[in-house]
Amino acid sequence: MQHYTNVGCQTSCMDDNELIEQILNGNSNAFTFLVNRYQKLVLHISGRLIQRQEELEDVCQEVFLKVYQNLGKYRKECKLSTWIATIAYNTGINHLRKFKKLDISDSDTQEIFLKTVDPDTIGYEQTDLHRYIRELIMLLPVQYRTVITLYHLEEFSYQEIEQITGMPEGTVKNYLFRAKALLKEKLKFVVDANSLKVVKEITNEK
Amino acid sequence: MKNEELDLIIENGLKVGPDFHLPVDFALKTSGKVGRSIQWKNDLLEYLSLTGLILALFIASVGMYYYIDKSLALRLLSIISQNPLFFILAFLLLNFILFADKVLLPLLFNKWNRVKIGDSKEYF
Repeated sequence: MQHYTNVGCQTSCMDDNELIEQILNGNSNAFTFLVNRYQKLVLHISGRLIQRQEELEDVCQEVFLKVYQNLGKYRKECKLSTWIATIAYNTGINHLRKFKKLDISDSDTQEIFLKTVDPDTIGYEQTDLHRYIRELIMLLPVQYRTVITLYHLEEFSYQEIEQITGMPEGTVKNYLFRAKALLKEKLKFVVDANSLKVVKEITNEK
Repeated sequence: MKNEELDLIIENGLKVGPDFHLPVDFALKTSGKVGRSIQWKNDLLEYLSLTGLILALFIASVGMYYYIDKSLALRLLSIISQNPLFFILAFLLLNFILFADKVLLPLLFNKWNRVKIGDSKEYF
């Protein structure tokens, strides 16, 4: 037991390069630790792309299997998180293509978004705005959801997002702007002065 | 309501992660799956190498006997050619036993173990 605790401590103290070295030397505890370290990142990217809880575990496992198989090819030209995010993004996109769930991002989808999401029919409490925004994000086109997740949630830079998705920096910025504009358009009708007061309280608490 | 206030709400809302979960033992399950996948590949490779080695040894010994004792080698080949079905079936049976031992049984054993211990309902 003492041995396992020591192993856990050793791996948790390691930086990414040491962790990779350990995995390549066949240390399975190091790989378990790597999965623990990056599972949230993979979950966020895959979750926002696929949006199906029942398929998510398999897709995340596929991502980490690819990470393991290609770890020897990782050349440390970018951060490990960027490299793993690239694998997660490509795996998610391939999964969507495979099951033909890839939606198109153009003005039509934006119109559909604006027409279909009616705040009255959703029935959320106005104080639960964060949850409402989360639901709205799920209805955005896939590219918008991806850049929002990578930029705001995972705090990747524009250059890193370009590396991960292959979209030019200008497109990334454009998608972020348009996604926010769409959300704003919807929220304008939901947020009134009273609920804003509550939201301010919530944000101040945080 | 001010535009900046709405922007603030959106900025904060965008920092909230999607409402999806992975099992608590996801990391262990994943490293187990990766381990099994590597093990399966190794087992298959071992089986293929053993089959190749046996065939190569058989061909080499027949070839050797052909130079040392040509008549014995020819007799052996004629026995095989007279009863091809028997030898093919015997080879397939032995090969299947090897396949079951090296690949099939470890795979089934792993699967059975996974069903037994890896069915976690806990999520974080």
